[in-house]
Amino acid sequence: MNSIRFLCRLNNIQLQQIRLGHRIRGKAPIYCRTIKERIDELNYKDELYTARIDIGFPTEKKNALSAREDRIAKAQKAKSDKNLEKLARNLQLEINMEQSRKDWLQSLGPLHKKQIADHYAIYEHLYGEGFFIPHLDLEVFYDLGDGNCLPVYYGNVVKPAEALQSPIVSYESDGNSLWTLVLTNLDGHLKDNEKEYVHWMVSNIPSNCIEKGDVIFDYLRPFPVKGTGYHRYVFVLYKQDGQLKYDLPKVTSTSLEDRTFQTREWYKKYQDNITPIGLAFFQSDWDKTVRDFFHTTLNMKEPVYEYDFPEPYIRPQEWFPRRKPFNVYMDKYRDPKQINKEYLLRKLKNEHPFRSPEPPLKFPNAHPFPKTMPSWLKVQEQKIRLKWGRINDV
Amino acid sequence: MLASKEMLCFPKFVRLNSTAPAVFINRNPRNLERMRIARKPDGYHLDKPGRKFWHKLILTPTNRTVKAEVVHYINGPVIEAKTSEKALRNQLYSMTDTCAYINLGKVFAQRCLECGITEMHCDIEPGKGGKVEKFLEQVVKGGIQLKEVDVYKKPLPWDQHRPEKPWEVIEE
Repeated sequence: MNSIRFLCRLNNIQLQQIRLGHRIRGKAPIYCRTIKERIDELNYKDELYTARIDIGFPTEKKNALSAREDRIAKAQKAKSDKNLEKLARNLQLEINMEQSRKDWLQSLGPLHKKQIADHYAIYEHLYGEGFFIPHLDLEVFYDLGDGNCLPVYYGNVVKPAEALQSPIVSYESDGNSLWTLVLTNLDGHLKDNEKEYVHWMVSNIPSNCIEKGDVIFDYLRPFPVKGTGYHRYVFVLYKQDGQLKYDLPKVTSTSLEDRTFQTREWYKKYQDNITPIGLAFFQSDWDKTVRDFFHTTLNMKEPVYEYDFPEPYIRPQEWFPRRKPFNVYMDKYRDPKQINKEYLLRKLKNEHPFRSPEPPLKFPNAHPFPKTMPSWLKVQEQKIRLKWGRINDV
Repeated sequence: MLASKEMLCFPKFVRLNSTAPAVFINRNPRNLERMRIARKPDGYHLDKPGRKFWHKLILTPTNRTVKAEVVHYINGPVIEAKTSEKALRNQLYSMTDTCAYINLGKVFAQRCLECGITEMHCDIEPGKGGKVEKFLEQVVKGGIQLKEVDVYKKPLPWDQHRPEKPWEVIEE
């Protein structure tokens, strides 16, 4: 019955259900569509909504012929290198990871970064249909204070306690270009989930000296709310084509209203003068420092959330349920809060405000119940002694 | 089949004069997977290979090169590393020998860590003492867990046990 209902809900799937035999329902497997085809049909989006626009710099074209010659020459050199061969045959050839990373950043790095940013839906939530390939490597480090640095790559986890101070940012730049750096939180807005909070914004950065730029929004530490999971914090570096004055008030306070922001709207306004070129982002979830931040800096109660799971299905109550323990059955149809209250009262009854609590029973099942006790109650008491079931909800 | 893209939360305690709204939506598409609440594409347990994963490690050796990639069940390939790319080929003697596999494992693990994907499903059954086994060894050594945890199922009120909520476990 369920499958029939499911079919009827999909309007473009065969509406009339024919029963061909008592074993085969619907069309035979070779004629009907597969589950994949059906799901693709459900998830289909028109080109109008999926078309994307490249808002970044175009990829530099390299001479394919010279690259090929270079590649062949290097391969021949490697093949004739006796030392390298010896290392490879003895399984001792270890590549230099730093050099490898450098090569990666110059070749496939930007494309891989775009791929992973798409996976985290960074562009979608920053610019809507826009995207860019981060050609410039943006290096961001959080100083941990004990001589160690925590880098921000493309989605690694940084705890709020590790990001209290503004990070060290570096990138390659020629002497006379100007830059804008923006750090926003895509998921953290408390009121409107379409909006963002700006955590840091520096404009008119000459070359790569962040300190010399005009700070529009002072650095604010991340504060992912408890129970809401991992938030994305995105650093985007824009290249300016000259001195720019953004129509934004300078914010040094931690006021969340002032920091409400929408990258898309802001970018739309200045898109003729700025072009995104560098990207780095991290994920962060709640830790203890966030509570202090809410209490001392924001001066508000810390909001705590819990994921809203769907309610369990409970079938309609019957007059004469068969083969069901009556107490368990009846409990299903009572108010769970009332049940929990009863368990709590029972627990508090045995507790004394000044004496230490009694030690738990070592062998809970070894203590006999009175003979006059009904069997259902014995089972219930046993469950409570073993800490099974609803007693855990208190 | 589709995991809901956004996370919906309700406050645990509705307190007086709290300015926070009742509903909070986290747009991060990877959040529910990290919190172990998202759905996995279940129902293909008769298929081989199965499809019950969020991220999966796939190793594709060809005659010329070896490719390792992480595949997401909806988004497809997400992280890639190849021995024929400049980053590896420049320092290798051969693109398919054991050393190539070992170094590919290192680079691949590093990229996964940088992208924040530390757990993935892997159904590769390597031959003993072979190249593939050495590759997987390096991946594990690099800090990647080759097993994905099960989805957290909220216990019903009449269930016997209350499993720990993964998002309430706080590392010290």
